[in-house]
Amino acid sequence: MLSAILASGLAIGAVYALIGVTYNVMFSASRVMSFTAGQLGMLGGVLGSAFILRMGVPILPGLVLTLATCAAIGVATEIVAVRPVLNSLEQHLYVLSTLAFALMIQQLVAIFWSTEPQPFPRLIGIGSGGPEDEKFWLPLVACAAVVGCLEFLYRRTLVGRAFLAIAEDNFAARALGLPERDLRMASYAIAGAIGGVAGFASGEMLLAFFANGGILNFYGFVPVALGGLGNNRGAIVGGLALGVFQQAANFLVGGVFAGVAVFAVFIVVLLAAPQGLFGAAPARRV
Amino acid sequence: MNTTRRTLVLGASTLLAAPAIIRSARADAEPIRFGWLTTMTGPLSAPGIGFDRGVRWAAEQINANGGVQGRKIEVITRDTQGDPTKAVNAVQELINRVKVHSVFGPTNSGEALATTPILARAKIPTLTAGVVDSLIDPAKFPNAFRVAASNTQWDDAVRNYTLKIVKGKKIAITADATGYGTSAVNASLASFKKEGAEIVFDGVIDATQADVTPDMLRMKNSGADVLVSWTVSAGMAARQMNARAAMNWDVPIVGHPALGTGDIARLLDKPANWEKVYMIGYRSSSYDASGKLPPRAQALVDKIKGKVQLDDTLLWWILSGVDGVNLIADAVKETKGDSSSEAIIGYLNGLKGYPGVFGTYRFSPEQHNGFPPEEVVMQQASKRRDGAFDLAPGYT
Amino acid sequence: MGGFRSLAPWAAIAGFAMLLPFAFNEFWVVIGTRAAIYWVLVAGLNLAVGFAGQLAIGYVALLTLGSYTASILVQRYGLSPYVALVGAATVGAVSGVIVGLPALRLRTFYFAMTTLGFATIVTQVALAWQSVTGGGIGLPGPEMPAPFDSTKGFYAFCMGLAGLCTWMSANIASSRFGRALVALRDAEVAAEATGISKTALLMTVFLFAGATGGVAGGLFATLQSYITPDAFTFDLSVLFFIAILIGGRGSILGPLLGTVILTILPEFAAPLVAWSTFLYAVLLLAIVLAMPGGIAALLDFSNRKPLQSDRAIIPRPELLAELLPNGGGQDDIALRGIVLAFGGVRAIDGLDLTVRPGEVHGLIGPNGSGKTTTLNVICGFNVPEAGEARLGAAPLPAGDSRGRAGMGIARTFQTPRLVGEASVLENVMIGGTISGQGSFVESLLRLPRHGRDEAALTARAMLALRATGLETLAHVRADRLQHSELRFMEIARAAMLAPKFLLLDEPAAGLSPDEIGRLGVLIKAIARQGTGVLLVEHHADLIFDICDQVTVLNLGRELAAGTPAEIRAHKEVVSAYLGG
Repeated sequence: MLSAILASGLAIGAVYALIGVTYNVMFSASRVMSFTAGQLGMLGGVLGSAFILRMGVPILPGLVLTLATCAAIGVATEIVAVRPVLNSLEQHLYVLSTLAFALMIQQLVAIFWSTEPQPFPRLIGIGSGGPEDEKFWLPLVACAAVVGCLEFLYRRTLVGRAFLAIAEDNFAARALGLPERDLRMASYAIAGAIGGVAGFASGEMLLAFFANGGILNFYGFVPVALGGLGNNRGAIVGGLALGVFQQAANFLVGGVFAGVAVFAVFIVVLLAAPQGLFGAAPARRV
Repeated sequence: MNTTRRTLVLGASTLLAAPAIIRSARADAEPIRFGWLTTMTGPLSAPGIGFDRGVRWAAEQINANGGVQGRKIEVITRDTQGDPTKAVNAVQELINRVKVHSVFGPTNSGEALATTPILARAKIPTLTAGVVDSLIDPAKFPNAFRVAASNTQWDDAVRNYTLKIVKGKKIAITADATGYGTSAVNASLASFKKEGAEIVFDGVIDATQADVTPDMLRMKNSGADVLVSWTVSAGMAARQMNARAAMNWDVPIVGHPALGTGDIARLLDKPANWEKVYMIGYRSSSYDASGKLPPRAQALVDKIKGKVQLDDTLLWWILSGVDGVNLIADAVKETKGDSSSEAIIGYLNGLKGYPGVFGTYRFSPEQHNGFPPEEVVMQQASKRRDGAFDLAPGYT
Repeated sequence: MGGFRSLAPWAAIAGFAMLLPFAFNEFWVVIGTRAAIYWVLVAGLNLAVGFAGQLAIGYVALLTLGSYTASILVQRYGLSPYVALVGAATVGAVSGVIVGLPALRLRTFYFAMTTLGFATIVTQVALAWQSVTGGGIGLPGPEMPAPFDSTKGFYAFCMGLAGLCTWMSANIASSRFGRALVALRDAEVAAEATGISKTALLMTVFLFAGATGGVAGGLFATLQSYITPDAFTFDLSVLFFIAILIGGRGSILGPLLGTVILTILPEFAAPLVAWSTFLYAVLLLAIVLAMPGGIAALLDFSNRKPLQSDRAIIPRPELLAELLPNGGGQDDIALRGIVLAFGGVRAIDGLDLTVRPGEVHGLIGPNGSGKTTTLNVICGFNVPEAGEARLGAAPLPAGDSRGRAGMGIARTFQTPRLVGEASVLENVMIGGTISGQGSFVESLLRLPRHGRDEAALTARAMLALRATGLETLAHVRADRLQHSELRFMEIARAAMLAPKFLLLDEPAAGLSPDEIGRLGVLIKAIARQGTGVLLVEHHADLIFDICDQVTVLNLGRELAAGTPAEIRAHKEVVSAYLGG
């Protein structure tokens, strides 16, 4: 019983964590929080289902196609909703432009895909719904793989270091001659792919459902807020904790109260520690 | 093609239905304007799409046969997307701008609760397919007639089946955390308690929750031996059935008609997960031992098969849509072409057994719940063909 | 500003609203009622979103609370619908503050998310608390008594309230409170430096917005005739929010038109109902990218006239006697042993500094020597780790940037902080916000003290503009000004306080030699009125020309201090900095 709740909580938590990382990767490159993060997670499931079940693409090419499309949508986010408003960052127009873009994505899926949850293909076929089922551990595997790849990218490759330099100090990085715009687009592509992985790996659990976007937007943001902006470790810990907390609350109190409990904890923690539990102090203002 | 021309003519008549032209035309050539409010798009659209097929089919049939006393039935459809705000706007438009003679819908109870008082003020004859009991009150809403089962009828059917046939001793009641879901849980709870049944669990689940295992564990731990489900969400219903199988929890699920929708079939891990699921249905969409529907419904299905899609919806939605149009058409016919509110309401109040394809309706000035309780039955979700089902064990 | 022309659109809207019930069928009367109700909510929300820039996107929560409060008071407690509306306003006001509270601690995206969370909680509670709210079944809305029980009567009632809300929000918009809200949005640091209290102001506005949201909810319940939690969709939140943005931030007319358009649009596009949210989103994106000023900017004809291109700033120092009549008093600003580090780097490392009334004190030094940081310590934007700052005998509380204005310390900024969409006059009036006497409620209702405040502030701001040579630009949008003009505008804004001390952060940067000359004259004249001036500057000529005292900083320490003549002779300074 405990194992079932843990399996389910960790699986959902891994998805929240990955969406949190999606937020972070976008933020690091552009200082922008984008409402499209959750929608990318939703698209991972919908596109996976569309490619594999509707069009009959085999699973691996289906995964590649899904990630490529999500990466392209990440880049589109950058071009359409982020770059034009970067000049007036302090006006926070990005909140509006990315909200608009996210709503457009969600509504297009609602209209052209379905407003009912659609099935997602069985990827490997291990387990029969119990805690050992692939639908519970695939998101965790995906989360670990993404963390590993990001670590490798940031620590071991030159491009990755350039990403870090941009995240650290945008202006200085540009002054050093780093191609800031290309790196930003690359970051958004990576963010898109990470969101896609989150949705694809959790497709069997979350199903291919247009409303997942808004849900992931919120629950994926909670770990970012708690863990501190740009802090991937915080996002992963926060995401997993949130997933387990949520499923434990569903088991213990259930229904409306469980939902309200998550929101209440989120708001209270945020008010107590606006920079997140692992966050840094705010930047200089004058 | 015949159909195409008919569609064109219908479309043209819609375009020309401007008030000025209507006034200049002869009164008896004025179309009977049938306002039809339902959810055609959005998350609650599955029933609306089904009803709509019936409504359009019936109107096309009548018009192809010369209409009612020479008058066409004009269906004015408004998609409310399950949103009471849109429903109120739409109903105001139908009353004041389109000037409809009658209204069918909204099919969603939450919307109907808001539109019913408005339609009552305007005295527009209204056919209601929503289940909530308070939608029907001949004193407050003398214009509103229910042409489907009421929530009490549903509750009675589920309770009787759960207690008498399934012989449940410890009952868990659940639904999704929507307006309808929470109210359905409470009504069902009251209904079971009245009979002295032991309720070990009652509560709602967020329909979008990714994994319902924790909630199902809670129900299992409470010792439940039957699960009563009022969810209208295919995703949540399928997740519950999948979790039930994964937990090796062999309890029957009894409940809302949506437990039988085709969407669920596609979301199940394996078809066997749909076994031991019994949901509310109607005589008119239940197969007998020889695989036949009741005669009136069977005749209609024979007629529409191939022309109206049946396999992705529930047959009773279509049947109810057909009856909605026919009731109003017959009201105008029987009152010699009088399409006034008083005439239609008067006709409906006098019905003592109108033989519809969905059910046999009885109304009186004091009783506007017209659907016969004995035609509400339980069906087996897994035994489905063309949107109709086999009766659940215990029914003949 | 052409009183008639600015009133014309309002007259047209009012006229149309009065004719509507007679010219159209009842359906349009209902749609008009709905638009009026939404506007009652948006009128308040506009002050929080459009003016103060707080991204409250889950505002349907207030509509929900108002609807349920009014319905419960009428249905369960049998109160009159009018009392119920007052109750809805009260509950809305309290909840408005609760929704708004996080805005004090959280920035933009975070705040937006908490408002979404709040909206979810409210709906969930409405679902769960069945004994009061009716749960999923809901409950009937209040029925208005005669003469407001008919469609047209209720329309008139809602229009009346909409008119009242328009009037009140327009009163706030054109008051010092409205200007302060916009300043908090676009130039928060400058707002703080002029003594505007973000906490008090935002809470007041959220209180007001909550109250109008609550009233709108009560009216909504009557219009809907019956309420269930399903009625309060996220789409409504989006509608309210987008109405403000397509209308244009910082405008009343724009969001009003935005609300009307978004309410009516779906009625013309019934077949497109599935696309409505998508179209809202496209509209929002288009507005943000192509027309950030919204409808209001489209309607702003007066600011499309080209400005005179060869204009010059001619300050009139002789007016300063009237502008700064009281002098600077007797107290010095004294810094003693200030130490301040940013992450391992000591920006200020044991600095002593005294600025006297009536003197121009120059502060020079290479980049990173701690000049602006010193200014920030005096102004309370940076908190020193050691040392003390005093004004005469009174300590300058560390970090209390908002309290400095009240102590008579004003400043300008290295990068001018301004409200681009407001006129130059309004920007300058922001500087005098704390001198107003009237309360928010007095401004809301246009009571006499509000009028006196406005008259006094306008007169004083015009005087400041004449003194700084900008009076011809008074009604021009500030973002159309040249950089040099903005420098003078900031000085005018700072002068609104009649400060004892004026802190100028590189005021000559970007100015032509002529302009620097005039700036020098102006600064000296200000000091002659008794105001102490601390001048951070790179233009050595200007420093040596007008300063009475000069302090040279290097690596956060005083390298040299004395009269300009002494500094010019200081060997280390000459070799290290002046490059002579």
